[in-house]
Amino acid sequence: MHGPRSRPVPEIAASTHAEVDAPRRRGKRRRGRAAEKQRTGVWYPRWYWPSFITPASISLLILFVLPFYVVFSVAFGSVDFDNFGIAVPYYAPWWWSFDTFNLTLSKFYVEGAIYQDPLIRTFEYVIAASAICLVLGYAVAYYTARFATKYKGLILILLVSPFWISYLMRIYAWQGLLDPDGPINWLLSPIGLGQTNWLEGKSITVILGLVYGYIPFMILPLYASLDRIQESMLEAGRDLGGNGRQTFWRVTLPLSRPAILAGIVIVTLPMFGDYYTNDLLGSTKTSMFGNLISVQKEAAGGSTRAASLVLLLSVIVMVPMLYYLRETKRQAEQA
Amino acid sequence: MRHPKDVSRRQFLTRAGGAAIAMPSLAAILAACSKPGESASGSGSASEIPIATLDNPVELPLTAETIPADTPLESGPLVLYNWADYIHKKVVEEFEEEFGVSVEITTFNNMEEGIQKVANGQVTPDVFVPTPGYLRRLVDKQLVMPLQHELVPNLEAVVWPSYSNPGPYYDLKANYTVPYTIYTWGVAYRRDRVSDEEAAAAGWDALWDPNHAGEIVLYDSYGDTIAVTILRNGSLDVNTGDPALITAAKESILETINENQAALKINGIYAKLPAGDYTVGEAWSGDIVGAQWYLPKGVGTDVLGFWRPPTGQTMIGNDLLVVPAAAKNPRLAHEFINFMLDEKHGYDNFVNWNGYQPPFTSIDPDKLIDDGVVPENLAAAVVTEDMFKKDLTPVELPPSVDQLWLDAWAEIKAGA
Repeated sequence: MHGPRSRPVPEIAASTHAEVDAPRRRGKRRRGRAAEKQRTGVWYPRWYWPSFITPASISLLILFVLPFYVVFSVAFGSVDFDNFGIAVPYYAPWWWSFDTFNLTLSKFYVEGAIYQDPLIRTFEYVIAASAICLVLGYAVAYYTARFATKYKGLILILLVSPFWISYLMRIYAWQGLLDPDGPINWLLSPIGLGQTNWLEGKSITVILGLVYGYIPFMILPLYASLDRIQESMLEAGRDLGGNGRQTFWRVTLPLSRPAILAGIVIVTLPMFGDYYTNDLLGSTKTSMFGNLISVQKEAAGGSTRAASLVLLLSVIVMVPMLYYLRETKRQAEQA
Repeated sequence: MRHPKDVSRRQFLTRAGGAAIAMPSLAAILAACSKPGESASGSGSASEIPIATLDNPVELPLTAETIPADTPLESGPLVLYNWADYIHKKVVEEFEEEFGVSVEITTFNNMEEGIQKVANGQVTPDVFVPTPGYLRRLVDKQLVMPLQHELVPNLEAVVWPSYSNPGPYYDLKANYTVPYTIYTWGVAYRRDRVSDEEAAAAGWDALWDPNHAGEIVLYDSYGDTIAVTILRNGSLDVNTGDPALITAAKESILETINENQAALKINGIYAKLPAGDYTVGEAWSGDIVGAQWYLPKGVGTDVLGFWRPPTGQTMIGNDLLVVPAAAKNPRLAHEFINFMLDEKHGYDNFVNWNGYQPPFTSIDPDKLIDDGVVPENLAAAVVTEDMFKKDLTPVELPPSVDQLWLDAWAEIKAGA
């Protein structure tokens, strides 16, 4: 759909094209440079724009690529049982041993499959929590963007305000609220749920805990997207005969699709690795994938298994990530 | 206009620069991976020091010189690496005052975490509080320093003689350690919900009683909870390597978790049971004595109860104070250890907040009850010297056995 959102793609594409081809075809490069100079009146050396991304690249290298390599080295390394089971990473790939990794992987489907339940549970919780986040978050974002008028700023501040208090503190507060003798049960007692022990390992508690923790990350991109949809687009929808509902389904929703995808990716990725929500609000009965990692990390000699689980988790979270990348690429091509 | 070759030369220089920065770390990595097999032998124990048991007490070799007795006092701050809520703040303040230094307390939630962080240098404490099961490896890896006994005179003056002569089974002659506290294992319960007779009749089975569903707590500590479950299941082999016993214990624990919603917590007894969250729980004796300081206002100490199996059918143990080899304030650390073994301070720590008893000759178990220092209903939580001769002692498990225990625990924690 061509609307106010579509960027001046062709122009940018032309100039980057010239840049990329430059070193091999000098003549063309000069023309490209001349063209750019003509267009913008300024010429920058080739390294100028790429240099903007250098600090990020370096930090990515130091803070992501290297640590990730260390995770590989630990997962495919060994542990020293004489030294309290501390990990002995093998940094050289030719020393890598895949025994522990294979053993860990096998626990998902053989040997009593002790990791299978937490894996399935993790998917259930993440899907349920993301869906709730999306439904609740979309409603809030929609209202804020369309109808909140003068309260818009206030609502946005309120949405961000939970971040002023540490997540840990807020979850401790929930522990108090959900206590068997706490206010939640007091409120629920008229409908006969006053005796519920919410903290004994109930799936619903953990799912709602996840929703509580991550919903702001869903609302903010949705709001940003919905807020940018121009009134004229909706008017056009109505002009063409759509009623309110049809306009929503055929104009608003498609226009906010990229934000929905972004929101889902932003909340599901950390949810897959979340372990503290369950640590604080659940029990072993609601163990998630992240808990498997944290238990192994704490156990003597468990580092290798913990690292193996981290690698497996990375594979899992890569699925929504790749889907997101594919979708955004497709949308960019369409635009 | 620049010649393209300039660009490539510049590029070359940039890349070379980048490589120069990357090189040292690459070299370090290559050095680190040159012989990965050596320290990773795994099952084959490289250590010369045998595992200590009651039948095979061990005198640990001296891995370093003790510090001279006239080492000047450091200026601190003294770093104490301890369990959470395991020392009376007031006693620590008194030490700070007496020595004019500050004490930083860093805490761990379970022994594995504490040991790992000391072993890999994440924490460099001056005083550390491990259990005997880790001592052999701490000495073997030269992570603790031998004690200068001249600086710890209270060990001989105040503590049960058996701790200095011949010394405990894990450290004959007390080369490295002094005892911090002594404790036993049992079942803590709320006397306003369970009578003493019921608790005594049920014993360990109270932790599997569906009548207490949702109000049972076990320690989130694999060694303790598996050993207690082995006792409950009728064996006295608390250091077992028998897979059948371990598997049975695992299934029993899963059973009470799944059917009775038993919780795994480390602060269940001292903090949550007095608050009323739990009715029964696996308990270290010191936890239930310390629980009286966590009771809500207006609730008397008589709601707390402790059942201990007959002598010989439960475990007995003690925690240690050691000075890590990397301590920055070794003299101060010795002073702190001696301070905690002082009759007054150790007693103060025990009865005024911590609840964990120090093994002092001056402490008369009967008098503790008579004076009301320990409530009469917690009489079973008082530890006597005699118990150390008759009760079971959990010792260090060999790596292959330890792995069986850990695997069982991992399965429990995975919620299978």
